[in-house]
Parts: sequence; structure tokens; C-alpha cells
Amino acid sequence: MANAHPHERARLIFDVTELNYDFGPQHPLQPSRLEALIDLLARSGLWRAELPETRLDFRPATLNELSLVHTPDYIAAVQQLSLPEDATMDQDVLKARSWLASKYGFGDGDTPPLPGMHEISARITGGTLVAMSAVMGLPEGGKFEHEEDRPLHVFHPAGGLHHAWAERASGFCVYNDIAVAIAHVIRSCEAKVLYIDFDAHHGDGVQRSFYDEPRVLTVSFHETGRYLFPGTGDVLELGQGSGRGYSVNIPLEPFTEDDSYNEVMNALLFPLVTSFAPDIIISQHGCDTHAWDPLTHLSLTMSGIQAQMKLAHQLAHTYCGGKWVAVGGGGYDLYRVVPRAWSLLWAEMSQQQVPEQLPPEWVQCWQPAWQAAQEQEEIGQQIMGKSSAATSFPTTFTDRAEDFPAQPRRWTISHTNRQTVALMRQLAVPSTVVRQAFPTMRRRSPLSGLFDLLHMNRERTPSSSKVLETPRGSVLFRDFCPPSLVERLKPDKGLHAFARLPEREQELLLGIAKSPDCALALAHTPNGEIIGEVTIAPADEWWEGIENLYEVAIEVSSDWRGQGIAKQLLAFALELDAKEDMIFFAIGLSWHWDMEDLGISVYRYRELIARLFGSQGFVEYPTTEPNVSMEPANVLLARIGSRVDQRVASQFLHRLLSSPNLARL
Amino acid sequence: MIVRDIMTTKLVTVEPDDTLAHAASLLRQYRFHHLPVTRKVRLAVPQQEESHKAETVLQFEGVLTSHDIDMAAALAEKDGASIQPWQEKRVIEVMHRADLPVTPTTNVASAAQILVERGLNYLPVVEYRQVESEHKAILVGFLTRSDLLMALSRAMGAFEPGMQLDIALPSGNMTALARVLALASELHMSIRSVMAAPLSGSVPTTATIRLGTINPAPLLLRLQEEGIHYSFGTSLAEGDIHG
Repeated sequence: MANAHPHERARLIFDVTELNYDFGPQHPLQPSRLEALIDLLARSGLWRAELPETRLDFRPATLNELSLVHTPDYIAAVQQLSLPEDATMDQDVLKARSWLASKYGFGDGDTPPLPGMHEISARITGGTLVAMSAVMGLPEGGKFEHEEDRPLHVFHPAGGLHHAWAERASGFCVYNDIAVAIAHVIRSCEAKVLYIDFDAHHGDGVQRSFYDEPRVLTVSFHETGRYLFPGTGDVLELGQGSGRGYSVNIPLEPFTEDDSYNEVMNALLFPLVTSFAPDIIISQHGCDTHAWDPLTHLSLTMSGIQAQMKLAHQLAHTYCGGKWVAVGGGGYDLYRVVPRAWSLLWAEMSQQQVPEQLPPEWVQCWQPAWQAAQEQEEIGQQIMGKSSAATSFPTTFTDRAEDFPAQPRRWTISHTNRQTVALMRQLAVPSTVVRQAFPTMRRRSPLSGLFDLLHMNRERTPSSSKVLETPRGSVLFRDFCPPSLVERLKPDKGLHAFARLPEREQELLLGIAKSPDCALALAHTPNGEIIGEVTIAPADEWWEGIENLYEVAIEVSSDWRGQGIAKQLLAFALELDAKEDMIFFAIGLSWHWDMEDLGISVYRYRELIARLFGSQGFVEYPTTEPNVSMEPANVLLARIGSRVDQRVASQFLHRLLSSPNLARL
Repeated sequence: MIVRDIMTTKLVTVEPDDTLAHAASLLRQYRFHHLPVTRKVRLAVPQQEESHKAETVLQFEGVLTSHDIDMAAALAEKDGASIQPWQEKRVIEVMHRADLPVTPTTNVASAAQILVERGLNYLPVVEYRQVESEHKAILVGFLTRSDLLMALSRAMGAFEPGMQLDIALPSGNMTALARVLALASELHMSIRSVMAAPLSGSVPTTATIRLGTINPAPLLLRLQEEGIHYSFGTSLAEGDIHG
């Protein structure tokens, strides 16, 4: 009998309402697999639901939280399709429903509309969100009397719906619980998140959500998409913009088996995790990688699946102070594989010994369910091009080697997998895992964007984060904000100097984030309200021809003034490797100033701006620049970096005082 | 498919008298490699001459590539600071004039062929209009190799989640393909794309279907019952066809 008390601070999230995630008796994903799991955990004494210290209470995700990842129209469609179809609906209503279903990914047999699916999926999403929040110490994770009560590890078997896209359901997944939870964490604190996807299918939904986000490293090990759903997950899908290199895909050959799988996993995860230095790991443990799974061909045994969880656990303790959340996922051998795999996962997480034998009464209870579907399963194996998986119902937690005859072509398969690893290492594992003593400078093309200029050697995460504690609560700073982050935040109504309306403001910021030649640093609250911004953008046409000249602009919400945020944010945004190679200037136009809000005169305001930029070494220059010279209160401040070419510096100084129509001569 | 279906119509252009500095900043901002060079001209809207409505169109002058700018910058560096800096050079000094244009109704297949034949990376898409009693080329679109590649990967269903199934078509006989499509529709499986093109020879011997499903078993079962030859997973690589 195993220990009644888990050793580690581990908790399990499960609620019977999660069993309602049920697409019908013919569907491959059956909630009974979770029942079998919970039953096995109970009968083997690994998890005792009645002990409050082994479970974590949770609540459904709010609409607001869901919209961190999903579009409002998609959420509305899910809600609408959640209402059961009934006889009173007329032809037009039914037609509208079927149009909605096909538009949002519910049109085919994979993810049919399910009555109440919004509530059920929101609940599952809430589970993963609460799990990550609890581990990260965020308020959404609940209150714990003592800090030692706070869980280090949480397992949420019903989670792991990694195929859902922002605007459509896909591959049995309605809401992407993982993506919502990660988006919530990176919005609420400065953590970097490592996502490891062990499911046999590519974790496309999660990857898409953070494709441009360098603070979330997504790593997916899966069977190659050459034939298998969803078809994506090629090595070359590496991320976009500043997120380049932070999406990692390892497509494995069908019939990979344990040894090659372990080799690949070990060769890549260690260097990736070392260089990324995450604060928390969330891993998806779809166990459809098992040889008996009817939908896929990776051919792992329980020992290969155990290696995944052991590695995730080890990485969490080595790099993240133990912070680790595990979720379920695929797994369509409902009774022989899923309950054993996830019991082993929970045992690993809670550091409990697993007995060798499965409890006989559990076998007696679930074997008939397997037997009933066995004939069908056997045909399934054969039409998927696999050898027979008939054998018998397992009686031990781990697998017996003799049930898994070696696959033919083993050498070729592991050879191909090694090629994939080699390519991946070249593409995604940074050569600066060990920081170079004498970094080589790349030759600069006149076409390199601001981002390239500032990250010549890519030494650190291209987008850094910092927390500022203010009397009004913490404020998070982020530089080089990727578009996906800007989309998940909303401007505070006190931001109105750049654009008059908050919606316009968001569009404007998104445009800046998308432009490779601009940089955007934001200050936001943990709730996602943008309260300040610094933009760095190429100088306009009046300055044409002057190299590396960038205009800096700053705004802090009128509701958040007087906390020193502006000064700190400006310093943070200008903390750049290439600062001394560039000329920065800032223009203060008095008609943009909100003197009334602060109750000060125009000249006091001017002084305020001069002092703010002065703190970063900006000096006031007289200029004939048409906007500035229009009004005496206007001001131009500039900072010429110490490594700026003399020719360029004098060109700039000349331009300051050139007469407008001669500007280009 | 014709060029109009896949060309870029959101054109970012420069004028012949713009400086290279301006062009460089555009290329940087949009991450392009080619900028069409055009002049704005006002022309009467065709077929509405009565109403005297005019529109602004882009008269095509040439193309400026990122390579031209890199070359100009490298040359200026070599010549030293005494000569005019490259940033102040005009687009017209370095652009290419004699580019091969196509029209929106050009066949995509022939556009692809000419790109490869002549080693080009782009084709300006023009329409001819009367400008001051002369026939002038008006730029209406731009087609690069990227546009063609995107069209190809879209045709192959790369942007939609799905799985791939290969159907054998003995001597180009499409009956099996037709049956598979009928069965998929009967089973409510969505089809993301169908490709049946000859790899060599003149008739396709394999059809590649992308099915929008994670669970192909019900369809595969029916195919087996009907004796339709398909391959899925690695079986194709081994030359082993089921059925």
C-alpha cells in the first residue's frame, strides 16, 4: 500500500462536472477514462479525495480570462451552441446554428457542439488557470494559511486541450485551458513560462497563442505531421518577430519507441531549459504516445511515458524551484493506458511509491469495459497500419516488455530522429548558452531593423520584464512587447495623449508592436491595464538620411502620475545594449499636455519633461523643426550616444537648425 | 488560377525622386525585398468618361530591390566620405527599369514558369492605360516568389489543421478518389484540400487528401471494406499500400 500522505507539496484538481466533457458514445475521447483514473488512484491509495491538502478547489474561468486567448465572437458562438437544440427551433434558427458550427470548427465529427459546452470548458480552463496561479502565488490560485501549504506541483488531468485555436474549436478541444492559464500568468507577473507538450499530436493551439512571445517557450514532441493531425509542428516553425527561437517542435517518426524518444528528449530539453531559465513549467501529458493508442504511431511503452514525467519533474526542481503544473491531454486507449499513465504521473509528482500490481478489484471493474470494445480496437489498430495491440488487460502499473515486439526499421527511424535533433539544435538552441567572452559583431546592413540593432548578439531574452512596487500596487514593465501581449492588455482610460479614444490607443500600440522598426515598452497592472508606454520609432521625414536616429515618446496615464513611474519606465525602456550607438530625441508639444489635470502652468510642465528626459542624459536643443518651432513652450531634447559617428552627430546638429525647405541639402 | 487571385494588391511604392534613405526605411519597416517605383498620375475613370471622374493611379517606372541598396551602401563605403553618401542618392539612379511585367489575367502556371526560366524573384502586375496619348503601364499588383509559395502551401492545405491521406489512382483512374470524397461527406468529415497532380508522366497516380479530422478510423474502415487502396502513416515510405 502506498503512503497516504504525499511527500511533496502536490495537489490534484478534479471535479465530477469535468466528466461532462463528453461528445457521445461513439467519440474516441471518453470521460470514463478519467473515472477509471480516479478509481485507480483511490483504490491504490495514491490520492484520497477526502483530504483537503491533496486537492485544489477551483472555479470556472471568467469570460474575461477566456478572452485572453479566444476572440469574443468565438466565445459568443460557443455560448450560443451550448444551448441544446430543441424541437421549437424553427428552420432559420437551425440554419444559423449550423452556419455558426461550421464557421467555428464544430461542423465535423471531431468536436461536435455539445449542450453546456461553454460552462464545462470554462470550468476545465478555470482548473488549469487556478493550478498555475496557485503555484505562482497569484491571487487567483486561492489563499493558503501558511506559505508551506501552497502547492509546488499541481496535476489537472481533465486539462490539456491544446488544439483549440483563438477563433475555432479543433481536435476535441473547445477552450485552450493551457494557453489561457499561461496568458494569465505572463500578464500578472514577470515569470517566464516553459510549456512542454508530450502529446502525440502537435500542440498547435498553444504554439499559435504565443508564437511571437519570447517569454513563453513552447516545446512540442509529437509524431510528425506528414500524415498525422494537425499536420503542423515542423522543425521550421520557430516563432515570429521577437519570439523567433521560442517555439520548438520536434516531429518524430512513426514507430519511434522508447529509446529513440528518450534520446531525443534528453538531447534537447536540457540545453533549451538551461538557456531559457523558466520560472515555471507546465507540461501536457497526452498519453496517446503509447503503442496501444488507436490514433497514433509513436509506439512508446509506459517506461517511455514515465521518462517524460520524471524529466519534467527534475527540470522543475533544477530550474524553477519546483514550480510545475501538469495537465492531461490525448489518450484514447481509455482503460489500459490512460489510468495507469496518469496514476504514475501523480505518483511521480507526489513522490509516492507505486506498487507493482494493479489493485485486482480495479482490474475486475474496468476490464469488461475494455473487452467490450476490444474487437473494434483491434480493427482500428490494423487500419491505422499498426501491429496488433490485442494482448490482454494489464495487471501491473508498468508494461511488460514482451508485449511490445521491436518495430522493424528501428535503425532508420532513430537515425531520422537524430537528424531532426541535430537540425533543431542548430536552429533553436542558442550558441550563447555559454556567454561568449568576446562576442563577434555582426556587420550591420542598412536594412536591419531596430530590433536587430539592439540585439546584435541575442544574449538575453529579447523582451525583458520587471516589477515596480508602487503605493497603488505592483506595476509590470515589459520592453519589446510582442503584438500578442498588446492584444491581451487594455489601455487605461487615463491614457489619451497619443490617441483620443482607448480603442484607438490599442490599435496604435498594436501597430507599433508589429513594426519591426519600432520598439514598445509598456507599464501595466497585473490585471492587464496599460498605464504607461514608451515608444521608440524611426525619426520622421524631416530628419531623413540621418542614421540610427530614433524618436522616443512617453506617456503615463493621468490616473497614475506622481508615483515615479515615468522616470522608471523611461530608464527601463532605454536600457539598451546599443544605446551609445544611437541618437534619441524626444519632442514635447505643448498642445498635447494635460496641464489642467496636474494644475500646473505650461512652463512648469515643460520643465517637468526636460527633467524627466534629463534623467536619461537628454539635453535640450534649439531647433527649427516645424512642429517644435511653432510654439515657444515646445521643446526638443536629444541624447547623442558616445559611440555615434562624428559625421552623423554633426549631420544631426546641422539638421536641428536647418531651414525647413533646405532640410535635404 | 490567375495572377489576380494571388498577387499583392496592398502596394507599398516609392517615387523615382525619393531618396534611398526613405526606401531603406520602408524596406525595413515592412520587411520587403522589393519596392515598385511608380509615379502618381490622374486619369479619367474608364467607362465613365461622361462624368469626368478622375482617379489617381500608379504609373510603373521600375523596381528597387534591397540588393540595390546594399550595393549602393557598399560602394559609398568603398569610395570614402568625400562622395555623396548613399542615403542621399535618388531611387531613379539605382532602380531597375526593364522589368518583365504581367497582367492580372496571366495564368499563374505561366507566371511561375517565367520566374524560374529567367531567374526572377518578382513580377510587376500592370494594366495598360492611355496617359497623355501614350500607352503607359499602370501598376495594379505585385507578384513575388513568396506569393506563389503561399498559394502553393494554401493549395496543399497547410494553414488548416488536418491529416493527410494518400489514395492510389491506378493509371490515373479517379473513381477511387470520387468514392473517398463521397464517403468523407457521408461521415461528416471535412475536406481541407484535394491534390491530384502528376509528379512525372502525364496522369496523377496518387491523390493527396487533407482531412480536417484527428480521428480518421471511421473513414479508413469504410475504405477497407470497399477495397480502396490508401496509405497513411509511414506505410507509404515502405511502399506498402493497404486494402
